[in-house]
Amino acid sequence: MKLSPTSNLSASLEFLLQEISGLRSQWKSPRRLRVDLQAETLPALIELLKGRAGFVHLSAISCVDWPAQNEFELVYHLWSYEVKVLVMAHIRIPRDPGIYLSIYDLYRPAAFFERDIHEMFGLFFEGSPDMGKFILTEWDGPPPMRKEFDGEAWVMNQFDWQDYQPGWLKDIEAKGGGITTRPEDVRRDKPKPWDEQS
Amino acid sequence: MSDIDYKDRGSLLNPLKSFAFFGRPAVTEAIEPRPASDNYRGFHVNDWTKCVGCSTCQKVCDNAAITMVRIPGLIADPVKGIRDERPAIDYGRCCWCGLCVDICPTGSLALSREYVHTCVDAELDSYFVLPDSSGMHGQHFEKGWAKTADADLVDLDRQKMPEMEPEQRIGNFAEMLLGYDDQQALLEASRCVQCGMCHDACPTHMHAPEYIRAIWEGKLEEAVAWIYQTNPFAHICGRVCTRRCEDACSIGHRGEPIAIRWLKRYAMDAVPHERVKQIALAGKVDTPTGKRVAIIGGGPAGLTAAFDLAKKGHAVTVFEALAEPGGMTRWGIPEYRLPYDRIDRDIDVIRSAGVDIRCNVRIGQDITLDQLRAGHDAVLLALGLQQGRQTRIPHSEHEKVFRAVDLLNKITANEPFDVPHCAVVIGGGNVAMDIARSLARLQKQQYGQVNVVVTALEEQQHFMADPDEIKEALEEGIVIRDQCGPQGCEIDAAGKLVGLKTWKVLSIFDENKRFAPRYDEAGETIHACDTVIEAIGQSADTSLLGDTLTEALEWNRGRIKVDADGRTSEAWLWSAGDMVNGPDVVHAVADGHRVATSIDAVLMEQKK
Amino acid sequence: MRPENYQSVNHPPSNEFELFFGPNHPGIEGNYALKVRVNGDEVTSARADGGYLHRGFEKLMEGRLWIQNIALVPRICVPDPVPMEVCYSLAIEELGGIEVPERAQWIRVMQLELSRIAAHLFTFGGHAATTGMYTPMFWGIADRDLILDLFEELSGGRVYHIFNIPGGVRRDLPPGYLDRVSKTLDYIESRLPDYDNLLFTNKVFVHRATGVGVLNQEQALEWAVTGPNLRATGLDFDVRRDDPYLVYDQIEFDVPVEQAGDAWARALVRRSELKESLRILRQVVAKLPSVGGPIRAPIPNPLAWNLPAGDVYTRVESSKGELAYYVVSNGGDKPYRVHVRGPSAMHAVQVLENLVTGARIEDVAQIMFSLDACPPEVDR
Ligand SMILES: Cc1cc2nc3c(=O)[nH]c(=O)nc-3n(C[C@H](O)[C@H](O)[C@H](O)COP(=O)(O)OP(=O)(O)OC[C@H]3O[C@@H](n4cnc5c(N)ncnc54)[C@H](O)[C@@H]3O)c2cc1C
Repeated sequence: MKLSPTSNLSASLEFLLQEISGLRSQWKSPRRLRVDLQAETLPALIELLKGRAGFVHLSAISCVDWPAQNEFELVYHLWSYEVKVLVMAHIRIPRDPGIYLSIYDLYRPAAFFERDIHEMFGLFFEGSPDMGKFILTEWDGPPPMRKEFDGEAWVMNQFDWQDYQPGWLKDIEAKGGGITTRPEDVRRDKPKPWDEQS
Repeated sequence: MSDIDYKDRGSLLNPLKSFAFFGRPAVTEAIEPRPASDNYRGFHVNDWTKCVGCSTCQKVCDNAAITMVRIPGLIADPVKGIRDERPAIDYGRCCWCGLCVDICPTGSLALSREYVHTCVDAELDSYFVLPDSSGMHGQHFEKGWAKTADADLVDLDRQKMPEMEPEQRIGNFAEMLLGYDDQQALLEASRCVQCGMCHDACPTHMHAPEYIRAIWEGKLEEAVAWIYQTNPFAHICGRVCTRRCEDACSIGHRGEPIAIRWLKRYAMDAVPHERVKQIALAGKVDTPTGKRVAIIGGGPAGLTAAFDLAKKGHAVTVFEALAEPGGMTRWGIPEYRLPYDRIDRDIDVIRSAGVDIRCNVRIGQDITLDQLRAGHDAVLLALGLQQGRQTRIPHSEHEKVFRAVDLLNKITANEPFDVPHCAVVIGGGNVAMDIARSLARLQKQQYGQVNVVVTALEEQQHFMADPDEIKEALEEGIVIRDQCGPQGCEIDAAGKLVGLKTWKVLSIFDENKRFAPRYDEAGETIHACDTVIEAIGQSADTSLLGDTLTEALEWNRGRIKVDADGRTSEAWLWSAGDMVNGPDVVHAVADGHRVATSIDAVLMEQKK
Repeated sequence: MRPENYQSVNHPPSNEFELFFGPNHPGIEGNYALKVRVNGDEVTSARADGGYLHRGFEKLMEGRLWIQNIALVPRICVPDPVPMEVCYSLAIEELGGIEVPERAQWIRVMQLELSRIAAHLFTFGGHAATTGMYTPMFWGIADRDLILDLFEELSGGRVYHIFNIPGGVRRDLPPGYLDRVSKTLDYIESRLPDYDNLLFTNKVFVHRATGVGVLNQEQALEWAVTGPNLRATGLDFDVRRDDPYLVYDQIEFDVPVEQAGDAWARALVRRSELKESLRILRQVVAKLPSVGGPIRAPIPNPLAWNLPAGDVYTRVESSKGELAYYVVSNGGDKPYRVHVRGPSAMHAVQVLENLVTGARIEDVAQIMFSLDACPPEVDR
């Protein structure tokens, strides 16, 4: 079956998706379909959507880090100019070893997104044309978009902040006043008294 | 589709048409900075007379550009919620988004129409600015981006506390306020900007920002843990606290303060009592110190001290003259405001810390103070103010003239008395409202109608009583007659009390602010009644001290003199609560903590 | 001066040179670089080199409250910041189930189209400059300034307006504002013939742009080209019309399409879009006085605002193409993840590399400008 914009869209799309085993789908709005599936079945889904439903446009691939579950979530945003629906296909893959298949064969733009995700999250895509650095050429720290990388702490260590000594502040300090709360102080959670006790 | 055809290969002559521009005047720009738009987001201006130093701007600043600076000489008044701090801006970080302006609770902060600042490297300090209303360079530029009503990021309206309608509540003593539901509590908690003014204003420095935040996060047990850091009268304060915190709340400058008290009440009600007990007792010392402390008086002051000392491992015994502990919270405050089971819960937590509370033991009668002293390493007096003050106007010694506290006491004790058909209350404070509203309920129950008049010296808007209390009293059918100075009780030939005579008050204080009421005799009114109730304050009964100790102790205007730690001039004796420091539960709690710390320090010193 | 550690290299005999365009080069839009190999005048291969503008926005956003990010997002595309603000806000609103009042929606459309005009003026000026014509650039920038004046009046900021906020917009229109918008529209409209004479029907420009950087529709779809660049290959698609947001479905406008897919066609699409944006704005100006009501839905205190857990993909038609935000909430007061999909991430990397390869060296800059690539969208 080839999907046409005149057919009863949601029904036919859902019918098509039944071919993928273990897939769950949910309409979030008339033009947004969320699909959750096993990582192994994603290539089949993509082939199906591109080949038979006109989803030629890979809008983006997004990666989300879920360290608590030790997983990466990959979301493939696919748009069909014919039926005017965006499918968001969600898969989860283990954070270790963090390897997945490239979809470059089907979608050229995947090269950019996969390279970006590799650079920012450290997730490797087998078969992607170039996993070389692009944005962070001078960076040898951990992939920064991983949740365990504390960007703010890194910045605080890395840079010397301007130490202002304006005249007005000196005057106030001479009178016994001065800085009480620096912006850094309110950006961290205060320790709780009962945590100290234990 | 496009108005130029794609097939149009263009012309070499077309650009020549632009030579027409040679005939037009050139576009010129003045060298002076152009005046910025009315809405411009330039350098900050801050009206220091409005700014209270709450630091909300600092919290919303996405670039961590705001530093709070304490400036000696500015007003610092925790009770009013004003700090002597002002925000300083780091223009190396600021991005002029103006969120600080939109969230500023007082509306003191604005961005100005000034936008030029240049300097050489050596003057980089000029990037760190403490703006006042004169602006970055003292040039008084006009305001640009300023707060508007439709753009306010502060929610000024509080969640309304559900309550019983007057008709529903007047015939009974059921609690009239019903408490927030989960959704209301969440919404109310979400209004808080975490400035901590409430914490500074609270006599016992409750961690209100923290427990409000915990409620908002849905961590109710954590909220209870924060509450118990400073206040074992948690249920009680969640219902009847005088809430200095709310007077200081930053949101209150332009809107309704956060309902801090109702949020406390919500958290306490939401967590099961057994869990509360576990949370409250966290950190209790297991090994007894072997020291013994006697506490006289089972009110908030005595019991708070008892709780602290017991948690520190001392053996604490509380002696309470009346049948149940709680002091005035039980024997004074009426049930419709504070149900007894909530008092029982607070007391149960305190008991479970190991405090031994012995009721129906009046020190001075059943046991002497000397006996107590002999058996204990320290003694704390927390007697409260049990005796109602009297007006001493003519005929006020009549048997139908009562003190409010005595009657409230009888109501709590369920002691039968003749409910007046028509009562006149003297006094405009909360105690007056409590007795008036209690009597109104009894009248409704027994006679089907309310007939209570409250008279007071002040004008109604200056009554000492909480405005909510006055509003609710009026709703319940109580009549308020303000600016009435009591002159005498009217007795008929048969010796029956028939009314109260008052004169119109012209002024209450003299030019030295001393109490010296002046009356207009022409404004005489006789308020007909069969009972008069005096609700003009209470005093302490210190007869248990005996002559020798009374002689030995130092006094201060009729009160036992204590130092900052609550210690009297006798090394073994401390005093706390209403009898030395008024006037409400939360002050008594604060006092209780203070003396407990002092007693503990002294006892542990002795142990060494 | 040569650095001390300079070592001269013996190049193997070859006609190829490697040329490094950028990152601070008049032939490059913004801070970006292109490494091209040339054989004579012909480019034999090209590699895009990003990262000069990387500020870690996506990471930064995870550390900031929902509302604080409104000050951050416009920086992702300097010449066309409004779509960033709107797209981010739309995501928050969808996550939070917030209904944006109608007046705010119209005000948003107004800003979006003003921003589009400003961006197009900027772009065709730049495009002209890459063919050696500087006057259109001066004109474009000068006229764009009039739109910045309007933004300054509305939002207090000329470039970063930070004016759209989850729930709506931050202020109502100043008194008499729409009159001034109309005046500026009149002026820009009156300038169109000038631009045409100077640039779009200028034989030199037409010849320089024709046949340069040709993309056919199939390639465009294959490389996820969007926006004017896609429409220049004959595909009639516009997010505003075909996947509508805000009140675009209540507005009449045409979607200009060209067929040739070269730099000239891309310039023409933008030129025609100027007119369509003016047309949209006329409708907004006529409509706004009759749309009353609030300018923002009530939102919670920004310091204590949790959004329900969930994720959302919102997209808008920016002047450069399909702009999308993927936003994930874990139920907290800050985004758990924000992924910004800028149209230039496609146009400035793979598409650019492909189009430049085989082109003549003097057309490299033109190709980049004709794609209207915005490097900060790549770097984020
Ligand atoms: C009618 C009324 C309403 C009030 N409403 C509020 C309110 O809404 N909010 C608020 O914050 N505050 C209120 N207060 C004030 C508040 O109740 C007191 O400030 C608080 O109870 C003082 O605590 P305390 O421990 O110092 O004294 P008390 O609570 O008075 O406790 C003292 C205890 O000592 C006992 N005692 C006295 N002498 C002896 C003795 N010789 N031997 C043994 N025991 C003895 C007494 O029986 C009493 O139980 C109210 C007071 C009254 C009278």
